Amino acid sequence: MSNGFYEFFCPVKVVAGDAALEHIPFELGNLGSKKPLLVTDKGVRGAGLIEPVVAACEAGGVEVPLIFDDVPPDSSVEVVREIAQLYLNEQCDALIAVGGGSVIDTCKGANILVSEGGLDLSRFSGAGILKKPLKPFLVVPTTSGTGSEVTAVAVIADRAKGVKLPFSSGYLLPNAAILDPRMTLTLPPHITAATAMDAMTHAIEAYTCLARNPLSEAYAAAAVKKIAVNLPKVLEDGSDRQARLELAQASTMAGIAFSNSMVGLVHALGHALGAVCHIPHGVCMNLFLPYVLEYNLEKGTIREALGELLLPLAGAEVYAATPADSRAEKTVEVIRTLRDELYTACKLPRTLRETGKVEKAQLTRIADVALDDGSIIFNPAEASLEEVQALLERAW
Amino acid sequence: MIKKQQYAVQYAAKRAYVTTMMEVVGRALAALTREDPVARETIERLPEGFRFAMTVMPDGPGLMLRKNAQGVFVYEGAPRPGQKAELTILIKHIEHAFRMLTFQESTAQAFANDRMLVDGEIGYAVRLVRALNRLESIILPKLIAERAVKEVDDLPLTEKIQAATRVYGGVLKSLVDTGIKELSRQVRAA
Repeated sequence: MSNGFYEFFCPVKVVAGDAALEHIPFELGNLGSKKPLLVTDKGVRGAGLIEPVVAACEAGGVEVPLIFDDVPPDSSVEVVREIAQLYLNEQCDALIAVGGGSVIDTCKGANILVSEGGLDLSRFSGAGILKKPLKPFLVVPTTSGTGSEVTAVAVIADRAKGVKLPFSSGYLLPNAAILDPRMTLTLPPHITAATAMDAMTHAIEAYTCLARNPLSEAYAAAAVKKIAVNLPKVLEDGSDRQARLELAQASTMAGIAFSNSMVGLVHALGHALGAVCHIPHGVCMNLFLPYVLEYNLEKGTIREALGELLLPLAGAEVYAATPADSRAEKTVEVIRTLRDELYTACKLPRTLRETGKVEKAQLTRIADVALDDGSIIFNPAEASLEEVQALLERAW
Repeated sequence: MIKKQQYAVQYAAKRAYVTTMMEVVGRALAALTREDPVARETIERLPEGFRFAMTVMPDGPGLMLRKNAQGVFVYEGAPRPGQKAELTILIKHIEHAFRMLTFQESTAQAFANDRMLVDGEIGYAVRLVRALNRLESIILPKLIAERAVKEVDDLPLTEKIQAATRVYGGVLKSLVDTGIKELSRQVRAA
């Protein structure tokens, strides 16, 4: 059951499938751009993922004279300023982000500065500060998990002040997201699994948390199905282009879903674990997902929604064979089985202990940080410190 | 035309109700942090001098609280034009504020329904929402509180009544104090 009110917004053009990269020149032309600045990181460039983008542009009559490839894993205002200065000095007229969440967020920040002027990014931190469209911006994701190509937010660290600056505005959204199977073909199994489980968590939390709505439900359920069907295929054969494309689309769909209905306690815990123990976000999502679903289920808040997800997650036969009042529990069971398969395939941790990076003494700190995370507001059950600590003990 | 006037009257009535409730909630939150150790612990991490505002767009009504050196909130009235707070919850329309303050929509659900914006550190907003929940759990009858918060704090009835009495008493005292101050000001001015 959805709420009596909702908002839904996604103006991003999705260009997906074989030879999607070859549409970039046309999209840039539509936006009046002739001199884009391509932004990426050294890992993406080292993996040879920039060549097909540049080649596709040049064959389509668009020169890409400038490539900034120095985006760090955790972006910062300094890097954003560097990119903005390069863009302005070279009189570029569009940005193309090729990479994962950090590259995309960095580009969103750079687009604020080159569009609004000045070099002080903190002036634009917060919700709804931007009041006009930014410069043309395309995103080519190289992972299938964050969904950043369709989210209206960015988080960029201001190291000098020791804070993370949040930005939220519909104007941060790119003009187009280019999903090409070539861009994720080289992702190793461990990262493929972790990022796919990040997308799975986006979809499941979008479907079960307080801001769920009919449109985000549709995207979320479709994303769950695509991940459940295609993640095992990709782990079996990493060169399966169709399955790779399905995962990329699932990630974008889950991104559309959660950016319009937010996420809950899995993300609150994941953000906290990431901050305290520096565990990658996708790993955190995979780890906490069943424990939080069980917790919310025990609190009686998500039974109907979680039961509905059994159909896209496990298919019609399993759904039909499971009594209606057991479908929510069965959904958790199927997720646990999937996690076991991922652990066998690529050692993706299922418990805090299995990460090998968490001390039991850190659990109180993780619970404490999670309680201050914004995502917790949207969790259907109200979680107290004691309950979060107990949940972490279960996940140990 | 008649319909338009009816809407205008309804909105005016809702504005009057919200204005009153903003003052009650502001004073009650201040009283709660004086009387309830759980609420005090919830705002413990806010720095001294921290100001929290909740206001209806575009120009109020609203409330402003400041955390003092004793670690409790002091009610400062409605935010003045241009006055900045470290954290402001901006409710997008008087109708949304009315729904929240008549407990038709919980604070968390109002966030989920995009009824409001947060200007400031989101972690602090989470704590303020928790303090509001605590307030509603204590001062509202359970049947109403269940609509206002995700989960009503499970207080024994006698403890709840005692806590509610202390908070309502605090609101009353604060209203009387303000009334006396205002009267003295008017006498001096006369």
